[in-house]
Amino acid sequence: MSGSLTAAAQAILQHPLFGFGVTLGAYQLALALFERTRWVFLQPVLLSMALVIGVLLLCGIDYPQYRASVGMLSVFLGPATVALAIPLFLNLKRIRQLLWPILITLALAGSLATALGIGFAWLLGADHVMQMTLLPKSVTSPIAMLVAEQLGGVAALAAVFVLITGVIGAILGPALLTRIGVRSPAARGMALGLTAHAVGTAQALQEGEETGAFSALAMSLMGGATAILLPLVVALVA
Amino acid sequence: MLLRGISWLVLFQLLGTGLNVLLLPMLPGPILGMLLLFAFLVWRGEVPAPIGEAGGALLRYLPLLLVPPAVGLMAYAEAIAADFWALTATLVLSLVLSLLFAGWLMQKLIDRQQRREGDA
Repeated sequence: MSGSLTAAAQAILQHPLFGFGVTLGAYQLALALFERTRWVFLQPVLLSMALVIGVLLLCGIDYPQYRASVGMLSVFLGPATVALAIPLFLNLKRIRQLLWPILITLALAGSLATALGIGFAWLLGADHVMQMTLLPKSVTSPIAMLVAEQLGGVAALAAVFVLITGVIGAILGPALLTRIGVRSPAARGMALGLTAHAVGTAQALQEGEETGAFSALAMSLMGGATAILLPLVVALVA
Repeated sequence: MLLRGISWLVLFQLLGTGLNVLLLPMLPGPILGMLLLFAFLVWRGEVPAPIGEAGGALLRYLPLLLVPPAVGLMAYAEAIAADFWALTATLVLSLVLSLLFAGWLMQKLIDRQQRREGDA
């Protein structure tokens, strides 16, 4: 009896759909918890990740086996990245209105965010792979992962740094901006989207529509600029 | 509609991948696909309904699509533990400094542009 139960449990754990099912379940649970509490630490991707890792460790499934079972999700990351062109296009009119402030802030603050990341990592003794993984931390995950991989970093780690950066930004950002007297919704949105990407944008949307729009815009621009310029700059410097 | 939109997005990504191998090895295929789609949208002057629908659906589930790569963290637990304090300090310090700088600079530039438009 217990032998056939074990066999059944094994069959479920080994099934190619197991990881997929766990991911879908964990995501819905995380989303429901986040919507009920609105607590920034329960950021859905962060919480889903923790839940899935917990289940995998309990069931003794390693990462390569899990990754094979969620291939059908991963394959859509590319088309989703392509789809980021849509919000960028829809924001074209707003970009034109504040074109120069946006471009100057993007160039200076975007470079600073990237340079500070690698600068601190170098000062504090992180190795080369870690530095390359930290470089794209201020951009939205699909881009950060692609760029990190391109630069010889670790895509999965880049996604984690992106998430942590976003969560810190969403938690600390609004209060810090208020303290130094940044009042304009466009400037608050720009700062949140530029440094804390999607998580910052979710936070910015809570402040108002204009803040949210500028945050989404800054996120797209920072993502695009990082994807295009960072590999070029690294290729030139290295 | 949804299928047609997804086909378009996949087509742009595949074009991007081809371009990546042929001409621009430093840019990832999906990013090139994004630029190609952006150029296409500017040329069309609007977002075709199927592309809008498929893009909206994919972007709505973007967080879900990001869960599997984030789970990859478990394969790198040792690497993170080895550099834990350096990583934490780097992430917090660089975020706080660049966030404050971005907000301050954008505010200054907007104020200046408004003053100029007030003078004109």
